[in-house]
Amino acid sequence: MRAEGDVRTVRTEWTGSYLDGKAPVRRPASIRVLRRGLEITLEEGTVLQWFYRDVRQAQGFYAGEEVRLERGGDLAEVLLVAEPGFLVSLHRIGKEAVGHLHDPRRRSRRATFTLLAAVGALGGSLAVYFWLIPFVADSLAVRVPVAWEERLGRSVTEELAPPGRHCRDPQLAQAVGKIVERLGGALPGTPYKFRVFVVNDRRVNALAAPGGYILVFRGLLERARTPEELAGVLAHEIQHVIRRDVTRALLRQASSGLLLRAVMGDAAGVMTYGLEAARALAALKYSREAEAAADAEGLRLLLAARIDPASMLAFFEQLLAAERRSSRLPPYLSTHPETLDRLIRLRAMVSEPRADMPTPLLPEADWQSLRLRCAPGAKPTRNE
Amino acid sequence: MTLAPRPASEQKEIRRIAFQGSGGSLFGIYIVNYFLTILTLGIYSFWGKVRVRRYLFGQTQFEGDRFAFHGTGLELFLGTLKAIGIFLLPIMLLSILPDLLALPDVAKTIARFLVWLLFMTFLPVAMVGARRYRLSRSSWRGIRFSFRGGVREFLKIFWTGGLLSTITLGLYYPFFEMRQQSYFIGHTRFGTQGFDFDGKGRDLFWSFLLTAALLPFTLGVSWVWYLAKKRRYFWEHTHVGSARFRFPITGGMLLGLYAVNLLLLIPTFGLAWPWALVRNARFACRHLSLEGPLDLGSITQEAMDASATGEGLAGILDTDFGVGV
Repeated sequence: MRAEGDVRTVRTEWTGSYLDGKAPVRRPASIRVLRRGLEITLEEGTVLQWFYRDVRQAQGFYAGEEVRLERGGDLAEVLLVAEPGFLVSLHRIGKEAVGHLHDPRRRSRRATFTLLAAVGALGGSLAVYFWLIPFVADSLAVRVPVAWEERLGRSVTEELAPPGRHCRDPQLAQAVGKIVERLGGALPGTPYKFRVFVVNDRRVNALAAPGGYILVFRGLLERARTPEELAGVLAHEIQHVIRRDVTRALLRQASSGLLLRAVMGDAAGVMTYGLEAARALAALKYSREAEAAADAEGLRLLLAARIDPASMLAFFEQLLAAERRSSRLPPYLSTHPETLDRLIRLRAMVSEPRADMPTPLLPEADWQSLRLRCAPGAKPTRNE
Repeated sequence: MTLAPRPASEQKEIRRIAFQGSGGSLFGIYIVNYFLTILTLGIYSFWGKVRVRRYLFGQTQFEGDRFAFHGTGLELFLGTLKAIGIFLLPIMLLSILPDLLALPDVAKTIARFLVWLLFMTFLPVAMVGARRYRLSRSSWRGIRFSFRGGVREFLKIFWTGGLLSTITLGLYYPFFEMRQQSYFIGHTRFGTQGFDFDGKGRDLFWSFLLTAALLPFTLGVSWVWYLAKKRRYFWEHTHVGSARFRFPITGGMLLGLYAVNLLLLIPTFGLAWPWALVRNARFACRHLSLEGPLDLGSITQEAMDASATGEGLAGILDTDFGVGV
């Protein structure tokens, strides 16, 4: 280990401190930088030879930070040098033998890399949010067994509307059951069993949970002027179930939450996440495409069940008009985007000429009293 | 940075801590970490965590010497995997399977109880494990810190303390906290040198009661006052040999720190987090000192290895136990 010829202009003598890894005492040390290693002379005359290949750097990557070199296993010997120029002369003399140690001359590169990383981080976040999460959730959603969806759906419905809040009126249940039966009859081969519960809640809303569970809120039921209108809403929600929109949306929400946590650096709360997602079911939004498809397929389902499709359109129009008048009402339709576009498209589909005539739903039932049976005491929501 | 002997006339030896990190450098570290974390779908976050810790430790000086963090990303990654295996997986299975398999209600109740029991066991285990790991990977002047407390001892403190706090509607809580602190500090060592804690629960009891009573009227601000008092009390009842820590902060000072941090964080949607972190570290270091004689020459290395599983558990449980500053 001899410093020679071409390195004469480089400073080879440095001073620093040495820690032996046995006692917390700093010992002054003079250091000679050689080709293949360092020669460290301690105050009392001990000379240590550190080969570069045995040396690793622990600190001194940032401006103003002391250079800290370590040698040995876990409880290493430490060499501390305050001047950052020490690293530069190490690189000048040691060349590739010190390639694994930080070179302060390259710090400007780090700034560039940080800037690139910032841009990349922004782009990466957008890509993950708009592409990766939907992709993962969508490919998972079609693979979830129906039995799992059913169980998830049941616990979600119990969470949202405990059985105590269901309307238990037998005549109403029978009527709703008949509508579901008629719609289901037009869906041969579906793996889902559709269960519709009327919830005693004045909000005008209906929502689908995974696996065939559908909740209709009393507010919406009372606003349906004919059984066909209710059938329109049910057909739409049934399509969300069949197309697994709910499962997909829950998975998307859960995976973005999980990813956010992973990025924040802690794998926390993973187990509670499923439940949080279930509670947010009421606030789930489907994509525009999913809504359009549920409309179109719902309408086709009505036709297949020989139910008048015009009632679906009429009911949606009525709901939208009511929502416009009073912003107090929690909306069913405006939770869905581009509602007007949907109505226009529905109108076009309804007006297409058709061969077979619809047959009336529940011809012998007294719908006007049935729809109010959920809360007989309550004042019915005003209708026109 | 010299070790010149102090004049004998100086009765009180005062040793100070300094923090020299900058928010800008830390922000750079966070940005690169975030980028690589996204690129690796989260895997890099463990290495990123280590980079942040190395920076923060390296920027903290005591008597002219910097602290060092020796943990590695791989260690943390494997520790978390292990913690997922022994803790997260059973919890997830216990909470999902009874529903998926449509088990009877009795089984569901038992499963729920088991989940709760796992939590109550693993939370204290994580608290001890994380502390063991972090201290075993921290050093100053080449000498490692270590934590020698047994898990069983802490389980006892945790369960009885939790139970008594519940029964007394929280009145026991300051005593509970004091016992935890006593356990954590009392088993901490720097090389061969131990730390001691001599706080008493009754010293904080009335302040705790007053704070709790005033909470609704002060919109929570009185809690900051109690926090300052508690932190000060904890430090000032911690000794190393015959040297004692001093941490003369007041509620007002802490409130000022938090208020400015909030002013930084809210308009930037949290992007100013590295600067807030640096402000917290500067605040702690500015006020913390060690007073009294301390014979560093008598201390020798006595390290103890620890696995990163406890640290992984703590990460999963979302608990952060500060070590020292």
